[in-house]
Amino acid sequence: MALSCLTRALRSLTLSQPALVSSQAAAWSKLGAQVPSSAVIQCRGFLTTASLEQNRVRWKQREKYTIRPIGMKKTGGRDHTGRIRTHGIGGGHKQRYRWVDFHRLRYEANREGQPFEEKVVEVRYDPCRSADIALVAGGERKRWIIATENMQAGDIIKTSGVIGRMAVSANEGDAYPLGALPVGTLVNNLELRPGKGSEYIRAAGTSGVLLRKVNGTAIVQLPSKQQVQVLETCMVTVGRISNVDHNKRIIGKAGRNRWLGIRPSSGLWQRKGGWAGRKIKPLPPMKVYINLPSVSAS
Amino acid sequence: MFPETAQRLKTAAPLFSHAAFLTDLKRLSAHGGARRHLTVGRCLTAKVPPPRKPRERVEIPGLEMVTYGERMHYVPGLAKPAPQHWERDYKDPRYYKSPPAHEMRLYKDKPCYMFNQRTSALEGVRQAAWLTKTQVIPGLPAQLLSLAENPENQIPDQDERVQNAIKHARFWDTTEDRPRKEKYSNTLLLNLLHLCATLQCSHPALGRRMLAENYSLATTWKRGEDLLQIRGQNGLLLNSTDPLPQMSGKQEVADTADHVLDAFYPVSPTIDLQKVHVYKEEVNHTGFRDDYPYPHAHTLYFLESADPRCKLRPEQFRTKMIMFTFGNALARAHKLYGTRPQRLLDRPVTVQSVGTNGRIFQFMVFQLNTTDLSGDDGIKNQMWLEEDVELYDFAKVRPLIKKKQVKIPAGLAGYKPEAFSKFLALYLHGAV
Repeated sequence: MALSCLTRALRSLTLSQPALVSSQAAAWSKLGAQVPSSAVIQCRGFLTTASLEQNRVRWKQREKYTIRPIGMKKTGGRDHTGRIRTHGIGGGHKQRYRWVDFHRLRYEANREGQPFEEKVVEVRYDPCRSADIALVAGGERKRWIIATENMQAGDIIKTSGVIGRMAVSANEGDAYPLGALPVGTLVNNLELRPGKGSEYIRAAGTSGVLLRKVNGTAIVQLPSKQQVQVLETCMVTVGRISNVDHNKRIIGKAGRNRWLGIRPSSGLWQRKGGWAGRKIKPLPPMKVYINLPSVSAS
Repeated sequence: MFPETAQRLKTAAPLFSHAAFLTDLKRLSAHGGARRHLTVGRCLTAKVPPPRKPRERVEIPGLEMVTYGERMHYVPGLAKPAPQHWERDYKDPRYYKSPPAHEMRLYKDKPCYMFNQRTSALEGVRQAAWLTKTQVIPGLPAQLLSLAENPENQIPDQDERVQNAIKHARFWDTTEDRPRKEKYSNTLLLNLLHLCATLQCSHPALGRRMLAENYSLATTWKRGEDLLQIRGQNGLLLNSTDPLPQMSGKQEVADTADHVLDAFYPVSPTIDLQKVHVYKEEVNHTGFRDDYPYPHAHTLYFLESADPRCKLRPEQFRTKMIMFTFGNALARAHKLYGTRPQRLLDRPVTVQSVGTNGRIFQFMVFQLNTTDLSGDDGIKNQMWLEEDVELYDFAKVRPLIKKKQVKIPAGLAGYKPEAFSKFLALYLHGAV
């Protein structure tokens, strides 16, 4: 962009034919900054560094779901301005992203509303997360989901959006709304708002506990002991997430951390402030994710 | 030179490669005489950016936007005119945009599931058996095995000549260290076929055969509610003037009615098949014209490494073999008996197939007994499948030495003669 402005300004200095330049200018205005500006002939040579539009998020702009791994671009902890926003990220083995479907209750095109079953084809390691992922096939589609603890190839897992009067005796790996599960079940892949997709309890070995169900809502304890109140129609999977011994692994050497893409922290000794040290404090209040009608309105 | 350069740059601009860019730069600067050097501090080989979506225009009914369209120049304060869709009044193949799927002439609401040569079916042989309504019988039929053991049907010095053929394919057919898999599997198959064909002196019926490659097969059939099609170029086909004899008798064919097909709930049998809405109905084409002198498909030869982009696992490779053999048989049956589904064919169509990856062979004989494939009951087709028959264990260019001991010697090791005898039996079947 900057380069094209400069060259347009310098056009008076060139000896090229005006017809060529104006046609190229028309082409440039259409294509934006991506046009190679050295198509201008007989231009005085100079070096420029225009601010580049990094194609950093281009690999994420895919609308159609696919199970094939997608090539990823690493950010190195940099944000859109190019500066480091998160320290300690960079390098590491190349990874390909497997698109995990976090909407467990996603119906197929013609079969809306009915509970369906899927077969686990393969459980494999995912370089992008601590948990393992499972390829499940049901009907005419295949998708990746987060695998639970005892999931193996050949299992049949059920997904249902129906909340019955009686609580369902759920098997591990099945997905039900919170209102259909008995109190005290270990759950994972929690949705906070129905239909949004699971955002909580997805790491290896984690599980939440369904504490109680209160008229239309359910209260779940997250792995950090924080309690959360959500609508009972939010979908959740039963069981613990796979790769249970993830927190017991020993890195062993600095090199292994570098393979994982973790750069060393700054070696500068810094005086620790009030944030450091063990804290003993009461649990934060329960977070409520429901828009309750306000009492004052009635 | 300038206008055509401008046009070339305009058309090539979005698709610039570094080399093309530099050559253009050199040409342009060389033309002007004094060479000016322009370097840019940015990446020159980026991906083409996708077309930016224009800002959404909000249409308020009753409020008409005043645009500067009529004035033919920009006026600050007036709205940008909506882009007019312009179409060429003549047809230019360089700038042709195909219409969306639902506007195509052959668009149908009912989808069709296509199987082509790059399909990798999830459930493997079970899925192929369900789609083709076939009973799978492991092992080759006894008639073929007895054909192999008959000493009249064997080539003189058979073992030695086959070993020479393997050595030629695996070691001698290259100027590099070792030939690549695509090359050696192809060479091996052609060598083995040539060896089988040397029996033409004693079996004159072998002269009425012809090899064909790169022919396009197309068949349609209905399975329950779904329409299924096979399309594609499968492999090497051995045609013959006479059809193959029936493998199983009438009683066995009638007994297949009791066999229950393997269902694999919850996976649908049409998984991994390409779902299309734009297709031609009722295509049935064997790949050859009606007056072709060798109309009957005898054996299909599949190579795992024929398509470098598509790597199929052994199970999926067998599925592809089954589907294309069935496709050839069904196309032949439709030609002979018409496209209306027939419950029992008077003379069942038999087609054989051999698949290989250069070392391991899969043999298959398919007998099409019925073209009435819509229901799950009734007479089924039959298939004899022999999986994973090794021709030899190792063909190493350099010996494998572990702890100063030779574990696997260089050269051909572990030759097994049964694989070639089965290959020969399948080749001679129908001509003995």
